[in-house]
Amino acid sequence: MISPQSDQQNFSREPPGIPESPLVDLHPGRWQMALARARLALRSFRGGWAIFVESRIGVLSLATIVLFALMAISHPILMATVWDAEVYDPVTGYAFDRLDHPAPPNWRHPLGTDPLGRDVLSQLLSSTRSEFVLGITAALVTVGIATTVGAVAAYYGGLVDALFMRLADLIIALPGISLLIVLSALFRLNLFYLALIIGILGGFGGTAIILKSQALSIRVKPYIEAARVAGGGHFHIIFVHIIPNLLPLSLLYMMFTVTGAIFAEAVLSFLGLLDLRMSWGIMIHTANTGGYLLGGTRYWWLIIPAGASITFLCSAFYLVGRALDEVVNPRLRRHTS
Amino acid sequence: MTGYLAKRAGQMALTLFLIVTLTFFLVQAQPGDYATFYALNPDLPAEVRAQIKESFGLDKPLWQQYLVHMKNTFTGNFGVSFGHFPRPVLDVLAERLPRTAVLFLTATAVSFYVGFFLGKAIAWRRGGVLEYAATISGATLFTAFTPAFGLMMIWIFAFKLGWLPVGKFLDPLVWRGAEVSANHVFSYMLVTGAAFIAFAFLVLFFFRRSGRIGSAPLVRPVIAVAALAIPVAWAFSDIGYLALDILRHMILPIVTLTLISFAGTMLLTRNSMLETMREDYVMAARAKGLPEKVVRDRHAARNALLPVVTSLVYSLIFAIDGSVIIEGVFSWPGMGMTLLDAVRSEDLPLVMGSMVFIGLFSLLAHVIVDVLYVYLDPRIRYQ
Amino acid sequence: MTTSTHTPVLQVIDLSLRYQTRQGEVQAVEGVSFELQQGQSLGLVGESGCGKTSVATSLMRLLPENARLTRGQVRLNGTDLLELDDEEMRSYRWRRIAMVFQAAMNSLDPVHRVGQQIIEAIEAHGMETTVSDARERVARLFRMVGLDPQLMDRYPHEFSGGMRQRAVIAMALSCDPDLIIADEPTTALDVIVQDRILRELKLVQQELRMGMIYISHDIGVVAEVTDRIGVMYAGRLVELGDTADVFRSPMHPYTAALMSSFPSVHGERLPLQGLAGEPPNLIDPPSGCPFHPRCQYADEVCRTEFPERSIHEDHWAACWHPLEVTVTGDGSRDGCG
Repeated sequence: MISPQSDQQNFSREPPGIPESPLVDLHPGRWQMALARARLALRSFRGGWAIFVESRIGVLSLATIVLFALMAISHPILMATVWDAEVYDPVTGYAFDRLDHPAPPNWRHPLGTDPLGRDVLSQLLSSTRSEFVLGITAALVTVGIATTVGAVAAYYGGLVDALFMRLADLIIALPGISLLIVLSALFRLNLFYLALIIGILGGFGGTAIILKSQALSIRVKPYIEAARVAGGGHFHIIFVHIIPNLLPLSLLYMMFTVTGAIFAEAVLSFLGLLDLRMSWGIMIHTANTGGYLLGGTRYWWLIIPAGASITFLCSAFYLVGRALDEVVNPRLRRHTS
Repeated sequence: MTGYLAKRAGQMALTLFLIVTLTFFLVQAQPGDYATFYALNPDLPAEVRAQIKESFGLDKPLWQQYLVHMKNTFTGNFGVSFGHFPRPVLDVLAERLPRTAVLFLTATAVSFYVGFFLGKAIAWRRGGVLEYAATISGATLFTAFTPAFGLMMIWIFAFKLGWLPVGKFLDPLVWRGAEVSANHVFSYMLVTGAAFIAFAFLVLFFFRRSGRIGSAPLVRPVIAVAALAIPVAWAFSDIGYLALDILRHMILPIVTLTLISFAGTMLLTRNSMLETMREDYVMAARAKGLPEKVVRDRHAARNALLPVVTSLVYSLIFAIDGSVIIEGVFSWPGMGMTLLDAVRSEDLPLVMGSMVFIGLFSLLAHVIVDVLYVYLDPRIRYQ
Repeated sequence: MTTSTHTPVLQVIDLSLRYQTRQGEVQAVEGVSFELQQGQSLGLVGESGCGKTSVATSLMRLLPENARLTRGQVRLNGTDLLELDDEEMRSYRWRRIAMVFQAAMNSLDPVHRVGQQIIEAIEAHGMETTVSDARERVARLFRMVGLDPQLMDRYPHEFSGGMRQRAVIAMALSCDPDLIIADEPTTALDVIVQDRILRELKLVQQELRMGMIYISHDIGVVAEVTDRIGVMYAGRLVELGDTADVFRSPMHPYTAALMSSFPSVHGERLPLQGLAGEPPNLIDPPSGCPFHPRCQYADEVCRTEFPERSIHEDHWAACWHPLEVTVTGDGSRDGCG
């Protein structure tokens, strides 16, 4: 009885006698729709933001992330302006001005140098950038896969659903770090592959299950039925109606993925299993293989900056996720009445 | 109930099958040929090489190799370790497995108990100092960088205070001149531990069946006496001092693993308790005039336990990863350490064997949780 | 005092309860007073949110943390329950006052056997000393409420709604209480089961000569089980009298409206219109008589002053203009006030 909207528009253009179908006037233009949608998104963003800022821990963690982002940006700027590459390069640099490596913090090297005479602050800042690249790549891959898998599994159900869910069960039954350790024995893992693998494991694993259950609750909403009655194809419904509504929850799980990715990278680097130039885990690895870690607080600049950065950035993403959870999931909010 | 368990068992068999398949194809996908690994390994004498080629079907087409791989895995033939030549992989793993099992099961049991206990306490009395202290320290430990935290523990307790050994399984100085092997002593320790747990359960079971109302006053004393008798008996045995040495080496890794994993259970228990405390049956229990402790433990916490046990799977898997890292940090010669060493020395047969066993471990975790859940929730038990 | 010479089981004197909420202080119960003789049953009726459940939970002292009893006494056989310390109150609960909860379906703990949940109450109050005696007692209770004693080793999920309701009643009777409070015990059940359970509850109550307070929003149900009836509005008791009297000649306009919104048990309908408007906001209750905004008889005095009344009457209403309607021809009454 009802044909897809595009057909109606085609039909209305064809007969020469009718200059313009009233339907076209009734329907707002494409860009107007987009504008309305954007306005709606902005309003719901503002509402969500108001709830988010109620969580002090969430705001504090967001500030921490911003601080780390500034650190990441500052490294190339410093390298281009005040830092000489021969001295300050995080991997190949050597602080000729000192002989006692690892040197304690001093005026030229605010966080001292490592056992190989490299500037710790420079290492710390350059690692920050790779952590962001790793975390965000992994999170995007995870969420891209999980959202699609979740929406598709929820929409089609049946065999497709069963297949994806069994796969997810398999992945969450495996200890992730151990699996990554095994993979590092078989393949040379660099930053990109690591991000990809973490993203794929997360995307087909637990995140897919959670997004699927959310998608299931969206699938039964009246507007999905309306879209179907209006002749929307499967592809259209999944990508235009279901996935946009999954995005808030996806964003939330992006945060958790970032935490997991940074943590995994740090552990594997610490164990010396990754093919990376520099990272916080490698900094601790270097200190550990030199035997400086058991010196306790004596060589603190070799451990504490990198260790604290891992802990702070991981927990900041995790806590932002928790705070977002309260925005997305009203049941968790403290004041319900 | 049997239907439920059968279904879960089927799912697990499938998972195990997939893990073994995955192992095979990962090895195939890695750059370099598995066959040449064996063929070129200088540690292997020529006849062993030929024998391995034969038993792994390395000269046959891929699909036949896969079938051989399946058969070998399920008959326990993982080949010969390069690093531990000429010991078979299974032999190395059989030695290491109990050590990891003890580390991992003890730490998980303790952290679950501590986490559950603290979680229910902070939910029951909200807003106390305990709540803030437990939440902040728990979250910090939970997100702390595990290796750095392990090293910090070593630094504090082994270097600064000197209370406990730095790492490893035993102290060679103590064992010089000992006539029994460490594995021998360790297996006796395992048997003792298992016997004690079985005894405690029997005592609990026996006194629960008695006819009088009120808590059985003898349960705690009887278990306490047994708990005291065990170290005394060991102290008088010839190998008591050796067992003590192993025990001293076990403490720090177990404590560290416990500390990093209790917070997850604690925070989850707290949330779950906050929900069950609002349930009508908790109000009803209080209306019945039951003591607050009974209302909390027998009703609120008992129901809050169910979702916590469900997610125990994730805590167990978290703990498997944790114990791999902890073993690496403490040089505890278990599965995790074996895996790390094998990875570093490219001992591929051992890597693959470890992976299958770690997979088995996590499946075991699933089985434990399933059985526990069925025991705890009558709604599933009587389906 | 009533004309009866019995000493009352329960005297509630000027009970007032406040809830602290984010929006402000809610006057949930205000100056409620009534008495109950041994073996007598009292029905409390009113719309949801009128404070009937708050009265019940105050009697048991099972109030949420944000509740505060500001005034009043609850005398059970002469002892003021509000003066007891927590441990004394604990020994009074169930032994002296038992309760059949509003959501009887959920007041059984799903993980324990039904019999065990009754035994633990018996145990806590030392009613029996051995497990076999306690089980025998549960078996007696089960027979009393029409359940097969063999069911005591089953779990709640194996019971039907009606069976659970009976089990909950058996549980309430387990420690021979002096007073039993039934808070909408049958709302979740279908009409036929509801009716049978009501009759049995009444029979048991009369047989054991317990006092009973029966709370319901359904004035018809209350009329079937209780000797006296109390009507609550906006946290106040606005009319109290023998059930037959209240039904024959309701004095408060609100009572009359309540009766007209339910078909009465006698089949007649009062010639009064249904209620317009909403129950008042108890954070900021109306001045004077709280019912005046919805009352067609309201005048100046209703708006400014609360109609104080004496409780020495057998049948009274807190109203400046009590009705003089008589439903059936006999026993026409004059209003008091």
